Amino acid sequence: MTDPVMRLKDLTLSLDGNAGVVEILKGISMEVSAGETLGLTGASGSGKSSLLMVMGGLERATSGLVSVLGQDLTPMGEDGLARFRRDHMGVVFQSFHLIPTMTALENVALPLELAGAEDAFARAEAELTAVGLASRGGHYPSQMSGGEQQRVALARAVVGRPEILLADEPTGNLDAATGEMVMDLLFDLRDRHGATLILVTHAPELAARCDRVVQLRDGQIMSDSLAMAAQ
Amino acid sequence: MSLAWRIARRELRGGLRGFWVFLACLALGVAAIAAIGTVRGAIEAGLTEQGAVILGGDAEVQLTYRFAEPEERAFFESLGDVSELVDFRSMLATGEERALTQVKGVDDMYPLYGAVQLTPDMPLAEALAGRDGFAGAAVDPVLLSRLGLDVGDRVKLGVKEFIVMAALERMPDSAGAGFSLGPPTLVASAALQDAGLLTPGTLFETEYRIRTPEALDLEAAKAQAEAALEGTGFRWRDRRNGAPGISRFVERLSAFLVLVGLTGLAVGGVGVSAAVRAYLAGKTEVIATLRSLGASGGLVFRVYLLQVGVLAVLGIAMGLVLGGLLPLAFGPLIEASLPVPVDLALRLRPLAEAALYGALAAALFTLWPLGQSEHIRAAALFRDAQSGVKGWPRPVWIVVCGLILAALVGSAALLSGLVMLTLWAAGGIMAAFVLLVLAAMGVRVLARWLARRLRGFKTLRFALGAVGGPGREAQAVVVSLGLGLSVLAAVGQIDWNLRNAIAGDLPEIAPSYFIVDVQPDQLEPLVASLSARPSVSKIESAPMLRGVITKINDKPAMEVAPDHWVVRGDRGVTYADALPAGTDITAGKWWGEGYEGDPQISFAAEEAEELGLKLGDTLNVNVLGRDITATITSFREVNFSTGGLGFVLSMNAAALRGAPHTHIATIYAEEADEGAILRDMAKTYPNITAIRVRDAIDRVSEVLQGIAAAITYGALSTLVTGGIVLIGTAAAGEKARVYEGAVLKTLGASRAAVLGNFALRSALLGLTAGGIALVTGITAGWGVMVFVMESDFTVAIGSALTIIAGGVLATLVTGLMFAWRPLATRPAQVLRASE
Repeated sequence: MTDPVMRLKDLTLSLDGNAGVVEILKGISMEVSAGETLGLTGASGSGKSSLLMVMGGLERATSGLVSVLGQDLTPMGEDGLARFRRDHMGVVFQSFHLIPTMTALENVALPLELAGAEDAFARAEAELTAVGLASRGGHYPSQMSGGEQQRVALARAVVGRPEILLADEPTGNLDAATGEMVMDLLFDLRDRHGATLILVTHAPELAARCDRVVQLRDGQIMSDSLAMAAQ
Repeated sequence: MSLAWRIARRELRGGLRGFWVFLACLALGVAAIAAIGTVRGAIEAGLTEQGAVILGGDAEVQLTYRFAEPEERAFFESLGDVSELVDFRSMLATGEERALTQVKGVDDMYPLYGAVQLTPDMPLAEALAGRDGFAGAAVDPVLLSRLGLDVGDRVKLGVKEFIVMAALERMPDSAGAGFSLGPPTLVASAALQDAGLLTPGTLFETEYRIRTPEALDLEAAKAQAEAALEGTGFRWRDRRNGAPGISRFVERLSAFLVLVGLTGLAVGGVGVSAAVRAYLAGKTEVIATLRSLGASGGLVFRVYLLQVGVLAVLGIAMGLVLGGLLPLAFGPLIEASLPVPVDLALRLRPLAEAALYGALAAALFTLWPLGQSEHIRAAALFRDAQSGVKGWPRPVWIVVCGLILAALVGSAALLSGLVMLTLWAAGGIMAAFVLLVLAAMGVRVLARWLARRLRGFKTLRFALGAVGGPGREAQAVVVSLGLGLSVLAAVGQIDWNLRNAIAGDLPEIAPSYFIVDVQPDQLEPLVASLSARPSVSKIESAPMLRGVITKINDKPAMEVAPDHWVVRGDRGVTYADALPAGTDITAGKWWGEGYEGDPQISFAAEEAEELGLKLGDTLNVNVLGRDITATITSFREVNFSTGGLGFVLSMNAAALRGAPHTHIATIYAEEADEGAILRDMAKTYPNITAIRVRDAIDRVSEVLQGIAAAITYGALSTLVTGGIVLIGTAAAGEKARVYEGAVLKTLGASRAAVLGNFALRSALLGLTAGGIALVTGITAGWGVMVFVMESDFTVAIGSALTIIAGGVLATLVTGLMFAWRPLATRPAQVLRASE
């Protein structure tokens, strides 16, 4: 078995909300292998999106260990986490989260520019072509459909050739046909670049396309297909 | 209750959150105008109520060069108690030192109203009586300190010695006296008889103040005076307008400040418009829902018009309270800083005027986005729900906006009384507005273009991309800040150029001294002695009398051109036989040397054009109480700006030679010798008065400084409104920046990079606003200096750089004020919330 790209141990996350402190994740421990496609499923409020956020360093764990590519994320500062994501991760969100003041091409080039790549725009153009949007590079997000925006977001996530791709319900805001097209594209890109994909989804058919499915309930792992296979 | 109002009321239950910029902009604009109007009303009321005190009597008859004849005096006495005052410029001397003073010789009846304040405190009669055989003088404290004098010291006026009995702290009629170059000295007029100062031809004025019975009809008294004193060149004033100069000045300055206030309202209008636009953008879903349920575009328009109307009424009311009460709160400070009595109180007219401007401005700036809201369709529920209002309103709303604009400009022109100035100012504001809107659009296009090309400079490219991208931040910031800075830039350029024209350029060519009251027999020896000094480069002299133009082509001059300065008082009149060297005749012909025929006049060309005078027109000029009818036979170029001798009226020598008169002279000398010239001159000719040009310029500069300060405060209020709009824009953009910051951080940007991006885009917008403000400010400054002041214009670099730096600083500060949250918030919080 290959070395794990991600290792979580006794991970907890508590958030201070209007109703007081809420325990979102309660002692999650798991490992993710390189090249694996992992589906995180569960009902709304089960903590799957929060787990993804912690995996991406977008949210700070309350306790426990988060080790990604051999580096412990927990002591890293905001800027350290940002640099880590820039160099090793790509993230796709349900609401696309493109920057509205930037064109499609600029949005895609952004992570490369942040990394100081000189050929940022050439690579971004190639990536936009790969998602079928070569002609829409000069358009702003508000001038594009939801499906197109998500394809731009996909291109932005993979343009830096990250080792890990995180996707949070990437088809949640799209109709079925567009969603399927986006998912094909996501898996196709992953296959092409060989990244580890961690995907949060509600859809069983999507989860079925993953090598491994982890189901969460109430902030804890309910089932792990990998463990079940081992049994 | 109509359906629209019911829905509007329900919508307003959500509170006024998000409307503070709307309310603050409108309230501030209205408050500034209301405050200016309230102070103006207070001054006008003070001048009216205290008219008799300021004038020194219920009525006053002023004569030039002479005392009243016995029958004239008898006429004055028939109207009430009379006090005679003689007023002239002279030199107050002590030892080798001398200084210009405005001498007021008074009788026992002075003052008819109010009281003179002296230090040490004593009755005026006691002070003027003097002691130790010397007549007494009360001298202005400024003059005492300038000459190093104390109470008890002796001073000379002309050839007579006086004893300083007290410092003259305050004269009740000082506000009515108007502008004077020298501080006053008060003496008994009887004591002036043997001072050698009131000889024939000397420039002096006599004022006969009359305390009339209260019931006396002043209009009828004025008519009687006109009948009794016709053709004597007298001037009548009465308590109904005790200080016409000050009234006129206050009227003009406050009208000008109201125009500045209106600019503030225009700046605030940008904020008001942006606030309404943002509110409607937030309500797109509600509007779309209403439309999906069957609401018409008209109903939606009315619903939001009513809401905005309620807010406008609230904003205007807040402005009226603030603008009405602030002057009252600062009453003691205002009273202390003004040289005239003020009667501070809440007055309806200025408040109503401010409310009218506020209502029109609110309507003008909200109708457009409200009209656009009619286009929001039910389909917006399914897509694009946050994009807000777009496109053109229906033509009817565009026409209504035009009408409101016309009403706003029209009412400002009508109420200020300065029609041309208002139209120019309105044109200027609109031009600046259009220029700023176009500039904002241009900057966005340029930023987009540059962003695509500057691929190696990521922070700059991000900032450019943000400036050039969708959204209205660029427009709101550039227009609001740009308009505020434009006013400040224009004031800065005009102020600098005026100071430069007065204090900078003039002294290089201006004479060192003006000498007045040179008796005919003194002229030759004086010129000879001055010419002998190596430091004196030039002396010019001319005979001078004072005259009043009473009629133009047999019609009263005040009816022909009531507002022109040439007919509004007495003017210097000279005469000459041969054409003086350097005279430039622009039209007509100079009378030949030795001409003895009917009186002829050579008139200053520019002033003649302003008065509409032609060759062959006749003027009645009253000199020493005698009307001379003369024909205009030529026009001359007269340049008053060089500080040399310049007379609007020059007559042929035979017409005036016989009249008692003195000479005026200008001396051009090296600065180092100026003191010695004055000392020697005063020793030999104690009767003559020397006005040091440098001192006069300082005095004029002081007055201008006060005016510039008042206008700068007005402009600053505009900038404060601009600042609020900026803060409002930055606050409105905070959510977008928090989101943008989160995405950037997700993609790997450090906080420093995010901050750099925000700071740079703020600076870029500030730079644009400052740059455009500079263009409009310099254009306005150039227009005012060249066409209104008829002077040269040079760009004030210091002021220009300050404006640009101010623009950058203002946007940076407001931008960074709202940068903390985007930097501090963790990406997951933001991204999760928007899922």
